[in-house]
Amino acid sequence: MGAITIQELTKSYGETQVLKGIDLAINDGEFLILVGPSGCGKSTLMNCIAGLEDITSGELFIGDDNVTTVNPKDRDIAMVFQSYALYPTMTVERNIRFGLEMRKYPKAEIDSTVKDVAKLLQIEHLLDRKPSQLSGGQRQRVAMGRALARSPRVFLFDEPLSNLDAKLRVEMRTEIKKLHKRLGTTIVYVTHDQVEAMTLADRIAVMKDGVVQQFGTPYEIYNDPANRFVADFMGSPAMNFIECTVKDGNIIIESGGQHHEVKVPGTEALKSSGLDSVVLGLRPEMITEPKPHSDSGYISQMSLNVLVTEPTGPDTLAFGEWNGQEMQARLSPEVGVKAETEGKVEIQVDTGKAVLFDPKTGARI
Amino acid sequence: MSSMNLRLGRTLIYTLLIGFALIYLAPLYVMLVTSLKDIEEIRSGNLIALPEHINFSAWVKAWNSACTGSECEGLAPYFWNSVRIVIPAVLISTIIGACNGYVLAQWQFKGSNMLFGALLFGCFIPFQVILLPMAKLLAWLGLANTVVGLVGVHVVYGITFTTLFFRNYYVAIPNELVRAARLDGAGFFAIFWRIFLPMSTPIFVVTVIWQFTQIWNDFLFGVVYSGPGTQPITVALNNLVNTSVGGKEYNVDMAAAIIAALPTLLVYLVAGKYFVRGLTAGAVKG
Repeated sequence: MGAITIQELTKSYGETQVLKGIDLAINDGEFLILVGPSGCGKSTLMNCIAGLEDITSGELFIGDDNVTTVNPKDRDIAMVFQSYALYPTMTVERNIRFGLEMRKYPKAEIDSTVKDVAKLLQIEHLLDRKPSQLSGGQRQRVAMGRALARSPRVFLFDEPLSNLDAKLRVEMRTEIKKLHKRLGTTIVYVTHDQVEAMTLADRIAVMKDGVVQQFGTPYEIYNDPANRFVADFMGSPAMNFIECTVKDGNIIIESGGQHHEVKVPGTEALKSSGLDSVVLGLRPEMITEPKPHSDSGYISQMSLNVLVTEPTGPDTLAFGEWNGQEMQARLSPEVGVKAETEGKVEIQVDTGKAVLFDPKTGARI
Repeated sequence: MSSMNLRLGRTLIYTLLIGFALIYLAPLYVMLVTSLKDIEEIRSGNLIALPEHINFSAWVKAWNSACTGSECEGLAPYFWNSVRIVIPAVLISTIIGACNGYVLAQWQFKGSNMLFGALLFGCFIPFQVILLPMAKLLAWLGLANTVVGLVGVHVVYGITFTTLFFRNYYVAIPNELVRAARLDGAGFFAIFWRIFLPMSTPIFVVTVIWQFTQIWNDFLFGVVYSGPGTQPITVALNNLVNTSVGGKEYNVDMAAAIIAALPTLLVYLVAGKYFVRGLTAGAVKG
């Protein structure tokens, strides 16, 4: 029903090509997140799916229907906008009714739909108010209610949480996820916030410069990034990237004045690549104080000169240098305090999930 | 010490304000006072003195029996001519302007900015430049000396301003609203009618005040394109003042001038209130 297939879709404004051949297949009921830095084309892609922008070339299917040139109102989709786009002169109820009235639903059906939607989103007490009398979170709910009322095949969310404050954003995030579980409708969701992407998505498409860099589950994107851009964009705090020399399929890390030869996964690939230096990508949580019972077969111990620490509450980020390049480790708060006062800490490095990139192209090895 | 200075400053400011207000109101006062005096009192008395006894006969005469050229029916028939010209001209030019502005702000097409630029250019064309070609055109259309012709001229001339007003108002409204409505299944006119018009009260009032004042006060088009039975009140006022049977009747002239100016004053007073109300209601965007 609500599956979306995008084939070799391109979009140009005059000479500038904004989308450069997008291929995506989204399953019915899937929660897809389009994520990327601003200007990567994610919103344009969403507008193409909605039909608000014409597609330059390529094809778009919703379910089995080719909707490439279909009018937006006939695509059976609903969209939640970043600015909510509530009709300012209409009450909340009229806002929700509008789409149904335009589609000439019978009045009795509209009445009961509005009631159901209002109940589902807990906005029953707001129905008589104007949008200007609502708080940001309430407007957000109404915007979702307007989309829900039509029970479309596909929901499109265009950065819906970016105008909310941090706490409300987390609350609404959970709520959207619950809603998706309950309704099971396909959702395409645009965001530039990688935390939102990780927490909400069934699958993520990471975009840059009009090209999908990687399309996969949050786990794949996080642990098995296709290239350095994806690895850098996803994850907070960001992954460490350290340029290292290669020796017999191992890599050399200089830390605390000592050189360590560290074993990494994919020794054979590294050897056959013939590179004598690589960029090591290692997430901060893989660099910790020594922990008992951890043995992935890729554990090394070393000491680290700590330049500065940043306590975040649950753990403390310690900034140091490897091979003269800045890196961060994730320590427990207790060890963090000690590291700050002593300026030095013993760490355990688990390279079991390390990823290696070509220093020139940024491609995975 | 400083509170003394403050009070001194205040006094100075108020004195100045009141002084300027008096200067500004003086002509109106003279008009009003003169219109209420009889001709004897005007000849013998002081210009700024209050009337000895209030006398409305000049008003009555200005309204229905003063001579404007060879006719002696007062301003009344011309007043209604003006009404018949102004109301359709204001309404039509405002509605067209709203439509134009909506398209130019929210449905941009190739060349729409060029078109807007060209329309803006119309704001700077002086009346006098188009007098002859327009007269030719009206004659050719068979609309010379008719109310319809005058309405048409005012509409055409007003569209540039009304379009400018509405376009600038609508351009501040996020385009996401149109997008949302399109996805909701609303078409071009449904979006205009159900979403944009309801939030346009402030700009409607501004446009109506502007157009009403412009067209009601217009003299040049009125004198050039009207015939004997279709002259607007401004032309009649001119004729009335320039026609003297016997001596100059200053009291009638003054009353006639006030009558001619009353409607614009009224529109401003009535609509100005809605204007402010509309502004505050629309200030918080949804």
